[in-house]
Amino acid sequence: MSGKGIRIEGLKKRYGEGNTAVYALKNVDMQVDAGEVVGLIGPSGSGKTTLLKCLGAVIDPTEGRMTLGNEVIFDNGWKVRDLRALRRDKIGFVFQAPYLIPFLDVTDNVALLPMLAGAPNEEARKRAKDLLAALDVQHRANAMPSQLSGGEQQRVAIARGLVNRPPIILADEPTAPLDSARAMAVIRILNNMAQEFETAIIVVTHDEKIIPTFKRIYHIRDGITHEEVGEGRNIE
Amino acid sequence: MINLASRDILHAWGKFVFTGIGLGLLIGVTLVMAGVYRGMVDDGKALLDNSRADLWVVQKDTLGPYAESSSVNDDIYRSIMLMPGIQQAVNVTYLTMQVRKEGKDVRAMVVGITPNTEPTYPGWPPYLVSGRQITRSHYEAVADVKTGFQLGDKITIRRNKYEVVGLTRRMVSSSGDPMIFIPLKDAQEAQFLKDNDAILQSRRRVEGNPVFNQPGIPNLLEATLAAQNTNSYVNAVLIRLAPDFSSEEVAENITRWKRLTVYTRIQMEAILVGKLIATSAKQIAMFLVILAVVSAAIVAFIIYTLTMDKIREIAVLKLIGTRNRTIASMILQQALALGFIGFIVGKISATFAAPAFPKYVLLTPQDSIAGFFIVMLICTLASIVAIRIAIKVDPAEAIGG
Amino acid sequence: MKKISPINRRKISITLVLLSLFVTFIYVGLRSGPLAPIRVVVAKVDRGEVATSLFGLGTVEARNTHKIGPTITGRTKILTVDIGDAVQAGQLLGEMDSIDLESRAASQSASIRRIEASSYQAEATHSYAKGEADRAEKLFPAGAVSKSLLDSRRKELRIAEADLLAAREDLARAKSDYDAIKNQLDNARLVSPIEGIVVLRNAEVGTTVVAGQTVFEIIDPKSIWINARFDQISSSGLKENLSAKIVLRSRNGESLKGQVLYVEPKADSVTEEMLAKVIFDTPPESLPPLGELAEVTVSLPPLVSSPIVPNASIQYVDGKTGVWEIKDGSLSFVPVVLGSSDLDGHVQVREGLKGGEDIVVYSEKSLSVHSRIHVVDGIQEAVR
Repeated sequence: MSGKGIRIEGLKKRYGEGNTAVYALKNVDMQVDAGEVVGLIGPSGSGKTTLLKCLGAVIDPTEGRMTLGNEVIFDNGWKVRDLRALRRDKIGFVFQAPYLIPFLDVTDNVALLPMLAGAPNEEARKRAKDLLAALDVQHRANAMPSQLSGGEQQRVAIARGLVNRPPIILADEPTAPLDSARAMAVIRILNNMAQEFETAIIVVTHDEKIIPTFKRIYHIRDGITHEEVGEGRNIE
Repeated sequence: MINLASRDILHAWGKFVFTGIGLGLLIGVTLVMAGVYRGMVDDGKALLDNSRADLWVVQKDTLGPYAESSSVNDDIYRSIMLMPGIQQAVNVTYLTMQVRKEGKDVRAMVVGITPNTEPTYPGWPPYLVSGRQITRSHYEAVADVKTGFQLGDKITIRRNKYEVVGLTRRMVSSSGDPMIFIPLKDAQEAQFLKDNDAILQSRRRVEGNPVFNQPGIPNLLEATLAAQNTNSYVNAVLIRLAPDFSSEEVAENITRWKRLTVYTRIQMEAILVGKLIATSAKQIAMFLVILAVVSAAIVAFIIYTLTMDKIREIAVLKLIGTRNRTIASMILQQALALGFIGFIVGKISATFAAPAFPKYVLLTPQDSIAGFFIVMLICTLASIVAIRIAIKVDPAEAIGG
Repeated sequence: MKKISPINRRKISITLVLLSLFVTFIYVGLRSGPLAPIRVVVAKVDRGEVATSLFGLGTVEARNTHKIGPTITGRTKILTVDIGDAVQAGQLLGEMDSIDLESRAASQSASIRRIEASSYQAEATHSYAKGEADRAEKLFPAGAVSKSLLDSRRKELRIAEADLLAAREDLARAKSDYDAIKNQLDNARLVSPIEGIVVLRNAEVGTTVVAGQTVFEIIDPKSIWINARFDQISSSGLKENLSAKIVLRSRNGESLKGQVLYVEPKADSVTEEMLAKVIFDTPPESLPPLGELAEVTVSLPPLVSSPIVPNASIQYVDGKTGVWEIKDGSLSFVPVVLGSSDLDGHVQVREGLKGGEDIVVYSEKSLSVHSRIHVVDGIQEAVR
């Protein structure tokens, strides 16, 4: 399993210079294997979001090492030239609010990613539809995002996160706006997808309802991560 | 790859089309403004075209007959006609005045033309839209349709009544007043004859003057009065050149030997366009600049607002790996589409609005084409601000915070 | 039936909106402004005669105006007529105040009587002297009287004869003097020479007028005419006896019949007009005021039949006079040579057209060979 998943070693993130320097991340060590869903929990200001941004390659970590599969993507500096392509091809995002593109219909919201990666429109749409079918929202394939319910939107967002088969998916509070049943459904989907696509999924959350479902949980406090074993409760 | 710009437009097409129509009306006003300027220039050129003259002979050192008043003796044309290179030389008078018909009056330029020549002579209206050209040497008139007169109307110019026998179109003075053509002798009378009261008063004055009213010479008074009421002046002599003579050559000849001022077509155009309407033209140019700036500001504002509304989507797009180029082109395409709709709406509204203006509004295709490119340029420039903002959007904003 | 997705529905509606905008745009671009076709009105060239006529302006004048005034300077004493009065030939119009002429005439007639008396005396003396002399002549051969007596008698007779002659001459002189005064008295009377109407009275009773000044003007209403002026350019064919229509300015619309009396041999070189006198066939009932403006239309004999075009169709292109002909929907310029024209705007074509061609009479703007045209029935109606 070491060929897939993500490994983070000694990751630090410093804001500011010299006397005013503040470390948002002091020492982060994480390891998430493919097919695994782990929780990332921490109070506000713990560095949770900063970590997510570093993992999402939208801000630059200060030092440390990140390995995605066999590829070292960060070693005291980015080892890949095109972060945009990295985000597009290797990282899937699922947000607290679904952030679907309001002027694209459900299919195209999902198909946009393969298209950006250069896939022909038809193939991209087919992949999107297949995925939507897998997520059980194919009946809304032609609807606009504003016509969907919250759960449907989140499922479409997950489909979008998965469509390029990224080795890692970052989910930021994916269940926050949902009730318990729907939140459980989302977690179930994430677990299924992680299995099916061999993806490592990191779920940032402080949703008490879903925390017991993780087998492994990373706690982050003052920029330092601690690994814990979760309850791993069965979702069914 | 799907076109993000068109999808966004499709999604919010009502907003987009109405914004485009609003912008279009503004562009329409700008086009009309340009049309007003073109119309003014065209009025000046129409005046020259319609006179169908190659040369204008006027009083020495005046800019007559349109820009300044000029008077030359009405028999000077005979000696001009004898000079080499001249095919036709005819007298003409121009007088802007109120022409009455029953209750209402119309401001018009009364043109005195030499009747009983062929209707192709300089000074005559080159084409009619109904009726006929003047055939009698008195009391007939051909009027521009803009005067509102109809065939058979009796109109009053000074003390005489004229029957409208023909109607023409686009015969205007440089200030846009419609023209009325009447026979020369009537026009001379209209121009120089005073009203009855004035004649009576001046007659009294002469009668009271013992120099003119000597008891021993009974006919002196009558002779004096008769001398006062004659007029033998016209405003200009229009010349048509014989083939193979250059206008400069002939003009110089007349200037030298007849001690008159002669203008060629080019000089006349320079006087009309360069001097007569120069101030108005600058005024309109100012308006055009202001309207262009306002349009640009509005387009920029609209595009800016449209982009700001989408800032979150743009962040998401960037997060999921959309290139800056794609986002910039989306904004640019939207700006251009907006400009395109605006231009079409503007052109249509300008075309329909133009005839309603009291003065001539000329919308030339060249102006429209230039206007199109200017609109596109303005839209491109206006989208730069929005594009800069979009590019600066941090994809990290999409991840909570 | 397949359900149309919202996106497609939007696509269709926005396409419709844009399409209609675009179609309107194309339409306004081609149908208005400089690219629009020029509306023209077309007519067929007729053949026929042109009833040419000349149009002139004139004033009502009297052929003869009699200006009556005194031959001596004096004051007017009586004026019997006023403006507008009809007068007979020989009618007394007024009299000048003769001042001392009457008394001088009286004194002269007295001196005539006195001279007559003294001439009677001279006659008596003469007849006595003649009797005495005759007797002495008869008696002398008989020697009844002396030679000296006879001589004395003869001398007395001659003296008496001379006296008588002197007396007679004196009387003749006195009578002549009286006649002269009497004549002067007659001249002080103003008498109409013709039957006519007084049109001017320049003096009131008591006005002093100089010798030769006009007191009355008298005209004969039967002799009024129109002094008409015709433009030289088009007055060929103007000659006497042509019939004319006269419209007086005060009676607009009412046309009176007349004819050209004569064309003046001298034209007006300043106004470039020909002068002609036009008389009324029957003078109008009420006399038109002298000096009133009159429009005179003289009809000329009709010309031979030829193609006729309206004068509105005549154009000037590249130094040539001609008309725009429409053949198979395309324009071509046909140069023509024009003949006479009438006052209704018909012009004879001498060369260039045969008749039956379609020509452009009216157009919205100047035409050229490349103009796109659109034939309508009437431009004004089409504009509205």
